[in-house]
Amino acid sequence: MTDQTQAAPVAESRVLSTPRLLGIGVFLLVVFVLVPVFISLSGRWDFYYTLTSVALLSVAAAGVWLTFYIGRINIGQGAYALMGGYVSAVLMTQYGVSFWLTLPLAGIFCAVVSVGIGLPILRLRGVYFAMVTLVLTEVARLTALALPITNGAKGITSIPLPGELSIFGLTIIPDFATLANPKLAFYLMAALLMVLTYLVLWRIVNSRLGHLCRSLQQNEELSASIGVNTAMLRVLAYAISSFFGGLAGAIFVAISQSIYPSSFVVQDSVNFMLYCFLGGLGYVFGPMLGTLLLYFGWDLLSIAKQYQLLIYSGALIALMLILPNGVLSLLDKKGGSK
Amino acid sequence: MNAILQVKNVTKRYGGLTANNDISFDVAPQEILSVIGPNGAGKSTLFKQIAGFVTPTTGEVIYKGTKISGLPPHKVARLGVVRTFQETTIFKSMTVRENVIVSHHLRSKASLLGFFFGSSQAKADEAEFGKSADDIIDFLGLQAIRDEMASNLPQGHLRALGMAIGLATHPEIILLDEPFAGMNHDETMRMVALVRRLRDERGLTVLLVEHDMPAVMKISDRIVCINFGEKIAEGTPAEIQANPRVIEAYLGSEDAAIGM
Amino acid sequence: MEQILANGLYLGAQYALIALGLTLIFSLMNVLNFAHGQMYVFGGFVTYTVVAQFGLPFIVGLIASAVVLAVMGALIEKFLFRPVIRRSKRDESTMLLAAGIAFFLDAVILLLFGEKQRGVPKIVNGVFNWDMRLIMPYDRILIAALAVGLIVGFILFMQYSRTGRAMRALAQDRMAAQLMGVDVDRYSMIGFAMGAMLAGLVGGLLVTITGINLGMGGPTSIKAFLMIMIGGAGVISGAIAGGFILGMMESVGLTLLAAYGDVTYLMIFITLMIFLAIRPQGLMGKPWG
Repeated sequence: MTDQTQAAPVAESRVLSTPRLLGIGVFLLVVFVLVPVFISLSGRWDFYYTLTSVALLSVAAAGVWLTFYIGRINIGQGAYALMGGYVSAVLMTQYGVSFWLTLPLAGIFCAVVSVGIGLPILRLRGVYFAMVTLVLTEVARLTALALPITNGAKGITSIPLPGELSIFGLTIIPDFATLANPKLAFYLMAALLMVLTYLVLWRIVNSRLGHLCRSLQQNEELSASIGVNTAMLRVLAYAISSFFGGLAGAIFVAISQSIYPSSFVVQDSVNFMLYCFLGGLGYVFGPMLGTLLLYFGWDLLSIAKQYQLLIYSGALIALMLILPNGVLSLLDKKGGSK
Repeated sequence: MNAILQVKNVTKRYGGLTANNDISFDVAPQEILSVIGPNGAGKSTLFKQIAGFVTPTTGEVIYKGTKISGLPPHKVARLGVVRTFQETTIFKSMTVRENVIVSHHLRSKASLLGFFFGSSQAKADEAEFGKSADDIIDFLGLQAIRDEMASNLPQGHLRALGMAIGLATHPEIILLDEPFAGMNHDETMRMVALVRRLRDERGLTVLLVEHDMPAVMKISDRIVCINFGEKIAEGTPAEIQANPRVIEAYLGSEDAAIGM
Repeated sequence: MEQILANGLYLGAQYALIALGLTLIFSLMNVLNFAHGQMYVFGGFVTYTVVAQFGLPFIVGLIASAVVLAVMGALIEKFLFRPVIRRSKRDESTMLLAAGIAFFLDAVILLLFGEKQRGVPKIVNGVFNWDMRLIMPYDRILIAALAVGLIVGFILFMQYSRTGRAMRALAQDRMAAQLMGVDVDRYSMIGFAMGAMLAGLVGGLLVTITGINLGMGGPTSIKAFLMIMIGGAGVISGAIAGGFILGMMESVGLTLLAAYGDVTYLMIFITLMIFLAIRPQGLMGKPWG
């Protein structure tokens, strides 16, 4: 019942009904047109950084959500964000690879590593898996501290801004350093990535792949006995998840132009999990909403100064008491599907 | 006998504990064979080994001349040996129809990428599965609850749904784990008739583990009796009823009296 | 060699005590208490306040930590975990709640005690020195002895008291315990209170040696998770074993690997990953699935 969204019959989910198309249209309009217009009118340029972060964090959270969808509590996304960030940083600064090439490479690198890690640990369930992934974030941080290529605690700094991307001499994306407003460029890039990520996620969930993932979440033994290669599917979902984590990490590095072992820590991994929970685990767009609410909420609460964390965590606990199944579970009560 | 499934000297030890000791028997095509025995005799362990959930310590399970013991469950299922479970045999938060559709997975021809992009093969699969699911639902008489959420179903329907899931994989051998447990007389008799139809109308070979002796006697072509992990008897219901070792095994335990 | 062993035992005794509290809560309620480290820090600050601010004896501080944390644990269980567990559709929801509580306790600690490192004066002076082979300050010996005493006390309590037996029944099979007439709500609350109390006690013990600061909460939780993974979650003997093993590994690692920089924990984590791949249920845990 948590899964009202996906419980819609298969045939129906393929059809993009008019209200749904309209909803998507409005969403895209807000993200790509209204937000930039609003910011330039209000002069709150700092919102760009906040919203860019929201978009990127929600990409990583989408990955976490997908692992939830196969019934695993993933508190290790910080590890892959860090890994992706370092891959991109090292490739750019030491091998002079273009940022645009490091982006997919970072994702793929994380996905490959996650297959190796996932094969043994995905056999664990429930709290055990959660704890191991949590530890994984710590392993990533310590590895970054220990390896020579990551430059230890000093980290990697003065990473160049994304350069020009051109195909056959045709400039598709201009060099960010030449832009008058790189903040806007980063925002648009992050937003685009977010839209693509959720498109992929939505597609996965509403295809047969999603049904198989759900069968895994609900009853792994039965799933195996109806012929689902559960081990493979688990690793696949985890690899996709880590891919998203790596992408998000790589772009974060491009924005901050630096990366340290402490760029993504256990706290971040826990946050990704919280974003998913808060938005609602049964809804594809849950993690996006959760990220927006929590991250923006945290940002806005900075006016409360020393009470920021108190109010934030208090609100979190209160939300949990009022809506233990996530914000989007409000929709359930009306019986609506999305 | 030209066996479809052969259990050969299967032994399973957990540490010092021997759950199954040197069990052998054959199953003929389109036979209904029951495995009986007191609680803790090792029946479930035996089933798990046949379905690939547990690998035998020694011995092997042969299906149509191929060794299947040691294969993972999904591979065993793909070959045509499918197990349904005792209780939670379903996907709770799906409707009945979705449960059955998703269980068609191993007949799917489309690749995972095909699913993702919605290739024509994936669409064809989907349409075919929908139709086949409806067939199975009709066969089991579940039309009225087609779009009901599985978590809301009463016990009897759950059992039927578990069977529908098993059927959706189009097995040749179906392993039923206590299909009559917790049923009253009428429900049991309906289930007995249904299991018969599985064999008669769908041509399945049925293996079942069961406690309900009257039902077992009624339904089985042959029976294998296990006690303390060892096979103590094998034969037709009449032979089993008359077997002194079987009677002793049942009298010696507090289990339900053998239904004679 | 003797020095390494002694350090390992000293660390292990504290760690085991932390892990016991965490595993108790986990076994009774299937809740992974993210806030365990924060409870530890809170306990440390209570002792600090009583001893360093009010000038009362150390033992009063320790008792105050135990009482404050036990009450806090009981309230958290009754007013937060219980309603959420009852109403949520997934077990995992309690994790969000636990994480929220961890943040909340961090905030409370920040407001009440500030972010400075705090410590109390040494409770015993002097250093035990065996021929330069084994050097250990007396206060550390005392704290380790107290920790071991608490562990023994806890085991005896769980074995022989009525409450302890009821909690063990509850941990083994919630449903069966309920049928046997065990008041599940009541013992969940007592168990949570005891778990929190243990965390607070360790905080109170260690504030005399390492001091305490706000940032210690998270890392302590992670260490506690490690221990119960090594030993097997929800098993008392596992928590104790895990605590001593981690203490020993840390002690050995810090000595042997010192030349290679700060890689001890990296090594411990990697070892753990490999160990869990082979034995997912930990040393003493029950196999599942």
